[in-house]
Amino acid sequence: MANLNIDSSKVRSYDAIVIGSGIAGGWSAKELCEKGLKTLVLERGRDVQHVKDYPTTNMYPWQFEHRNEIPFDVKQENPVVSRCYAFREDAQHFFVKDTEHPYVQEKPFDWIRGYQVGGKSLLWARQTQRWSDFDFDGPARDGFAVDWPIRYGDLKPWYDHVERFAGISGNKDGLPELPDGEFLPGFPLNIVEKYFKEQVETKYPGRKVISARCAHLSKPNQIHIDQGRVQCQNRLLCQRGCPFGGYFSSNASTLPWAAKTGNLTVRPDSVVHSILYDDEKGKAIGVKVIDRNTKEEIDFYGKLIFVNAAALNSNLILLNSKSKRFPNGLGNDSETLGKYVAFHNYSARISAEYEGLLDYKVDGKNPAGGGYIPRFRNLHKQETDFLRGYAAGFGAYRSSGSDQSGMGEDLKNSLLNPKLGNWGVGSHMMGETIPKESNYVALDETMKDDWGIPQLKISVDYDDNDAKMKKDYLDTMEEMFTAAGFINIKRNESSQAPGLDIHEMGGVRMGLDPKTSMLNKWNQVHSCPNVFVTDGSCMTSTSTQNPSLTYMAFSARAVDYAVNELKKGNI
Amino acid sequence: MNRRTAIKQLFVVAGGVMIATSCDFTSQSTTIALNHIKLKKSDEDFLAELTETLIPKTDTPGAKELNLHLFVMKMLDDCASPEDQKAFLAGLKAAEAVKGKGATDIQAYLKGLPAEDVFFQTLKRRTIQGYLNSEYVMKNKLIYELVPGRYNGAMKVKV
Ligand SMILES: Cc1cc2nc3c(=O)[nH]c(=O)nc-3n(C[C@H](O)[C@H](O)[C@H](O)COP(=O)(O)OP(=O)(O)OC[C@H]3O[C@@H](n4cnc5c(N)ncnc54)[C@H](O)[C@@H]3O)c2cc1C
Ligand code: SF4
Repeated sequence: MANLNIDSSKVRSYDAIVIGSGIAGGWSAKELCEKGLKTLVLERGRDVQHVKDYPTTNMYPWQFEHRNEIPFDVKQENPVVSRCYAFREDAQHFFVKDTEHPYVQEKPFDWIRGYQVGGKSLLWARQTQRWSDFDFDGPARDGFAVDWPIRYGDLKPWYDHVERFAGISGNKDGLPELPDGEFLPGFPLNIVEKYFKEQVETKYPGRKVISARCAHLSKPNQIHIDQGRVQCQNRLLCQRGCPFGGYFSSNASTLPWAAKTGNLTVRPDSVVHSILYDDEKGKAIGVKVIDRNTKEEIDFYGKLIFVNAAALNSNLILLNSKSKRFPNGLGNDSETLGKYVAFHNYSARISAEYEGLLDYKVDGKNPAGGGYIPRFRNLHKQETDFLRGYAAGFGAYRSSGSDQSGMGEDLKNSLLNPKLGNWGVGSHMMGETIPKESNYVALDETMKDDWGIPQLKISVDYDDNDAKMKKDYLDTMEEMFTAAGFINIKRNESSQAPGLDIHEMGGVRMGLDPKTSMLNKWNQVHSCPNVFVTDGSCMTSTSTQNPSLTYMAFSARAVDYAVNELKKGNI
Repeated sequence: MNRRTAIKQLFVVAGGVMIATSCDFTSQSTTIALNHIKLKKSDEDFLAELTETLIPKTDTPGAKELNLHLFVMKMLDDCASPEDQKAFLAGLKAAEAVKGKGATDIQAYLKGLPAEDVFFQTLKRRTIQGYLNSEYVMKNKLIYELVPGRYNGAMKVKV
């Protein structure tokens, strides 16, 4: 036990504590600081300062020892993270290695993590779509999970708020299933993506192909320049950290902004062990931390606590926060904590070639990645034998290659004179999975980590609904590709474990009824009102859209409510 | 103490790749430190010959000048599986039949190898990769842009 005296506990007292400095934590911190609260951000990983700590950001391909490949030994030792497409030589330092932070896989689960200031916000692919009422209505309409305690209208002003600051590029597409936002100019589709859009939209009414919406400054506004960020330069090396601040990350955007207020303290290397609950006061009073390096135990105190350690780690912290009042984890009266974990189904893709439009090519790079096909299945009525639906990415590229069969001068000439080939096209599915009680995380009873904290045990799997949805995606895309005149269509099913989508959600779900949910409509723990959970763990269901923009909106909205309640003396 | 660790490691840019070299010019050891496989300086020189056969010097630099053999060695050492390393080394040994012969003989030998031969596949793949990603090619021939600053999804090309 730490040896506390009154003075030192004062020094360790803040108005608010935020656990985690990733996408959700960065937003919580910014909003809290702007509202004048002295805020402590506790981050288990090392510090990463914008630009200064992006060691590979300006490196040329030939400067990488292994030309961006991961060595064989590293892959063998770290099979899980090695399966992530972005775990390459240029960004490996921002990923957690399997060997460093083991967890228990009751069923195979590829848990991809980034433990550092900024979390996974440095690594993400920056796709940002709003959720719609089709998503928030979903459970009530389709009868899975529990009803969401909010609707799109509750979140809309907060989507507006975070989009303006983060900088989201996109077009106003006017689709109720994918509400428009406060956009910077969208990145245009290339000529073959446009061609596919026309084909789909004329032959399949109700289906759309739009420019992917993404967190890039296509044309910065004053608010972005004030953050020290400038226009995205189309480098597409974002996962190294962008020296231009061209894409949104906590490091480039929310954290420095919060720091400017003078109210922010970030403490890296602080592994949160649990939230301290005072049985007499009937509320949380602070957070217990184990210093990552010294292993010293330190308590910090705060009036408000925001849990933003990323979905599964937030579950872990709450499960490990045991007290007389909450013997099974903080706020866990409903016994739902850790349950109803859901994720996205990214396990199918399809590719093909197109022999048309050969007098065009692409010049430069599109950071949005191309097109996006919003969900069209089971939107207006249940029309398939599976629940919910999928969105899909779509992209076209003009390949350029050379005949490599020769040797000597022929080979050299051929390599130096690549020829444009056909267009390649490809798509990947982004399916919604159904939250189920049997998909859960729990504390392992015996295994601990290096800081004496129980390891997380993960028991999550696909089901029949996912298999049916996957087949429908492949069949449907194949049909659409054929209709567009694409050739050499290749269906590609992967048997990847859940988790590799990196969109794990749930376990601390929101709901109207405290008997069946952990959080109310303000992301506030039903039975512990000064604790708020606004990362992916709060998600009642998962939608098909990428989730992070919604975590941002939830964080900003919850802070606004929490600070008002604090001022009114209700918390 | 392991002799290798005692050797001062120095970084040079070989074909643009950063390579930790051992500056032990007197011995039989290779120019770069290897962690998994064993090669002698004579193997290294032979590899240089082989890569030069694939990408010869013309009015522009060839494989040897770009140190592509060192890149092949590096990738073999760090990125290949132990089975592939073994197969490669066996293939390299067998290829000594053409050591010191002219490019035509070496080419004929390589062409005679079965398509799935690990030695030849690795040699060729890594030589090509090293070449296309070399500083020389990326700066002078197939220009690599770190910061394109533009995107045009419909640029007209001549067919
Ligand atoms: C390669 C890749 C591509 C992705 N693409 C997209 C995309 O296109 N669109 C999208 O919406 N999302 C995408 N994501 C997912 C996105 O990154 C996450 O949804 C998002 O970062 C989650 O935000 P978060 O704040 O909950 O978690 P994080 O950003 O992971 O931050 C959590 C932080 O909490 C810290 N932490 C954890 N445990 C503790 C503890 N006990 N004590 C203290 N600190 C702790 C972690 O170290 C971390 O810094 C992608 C992710 C990856 C890796
Ligand atoms: S594409 Fe834009 S955001 Fe990504 S690295 Fe380049 S400039 Fe930065």
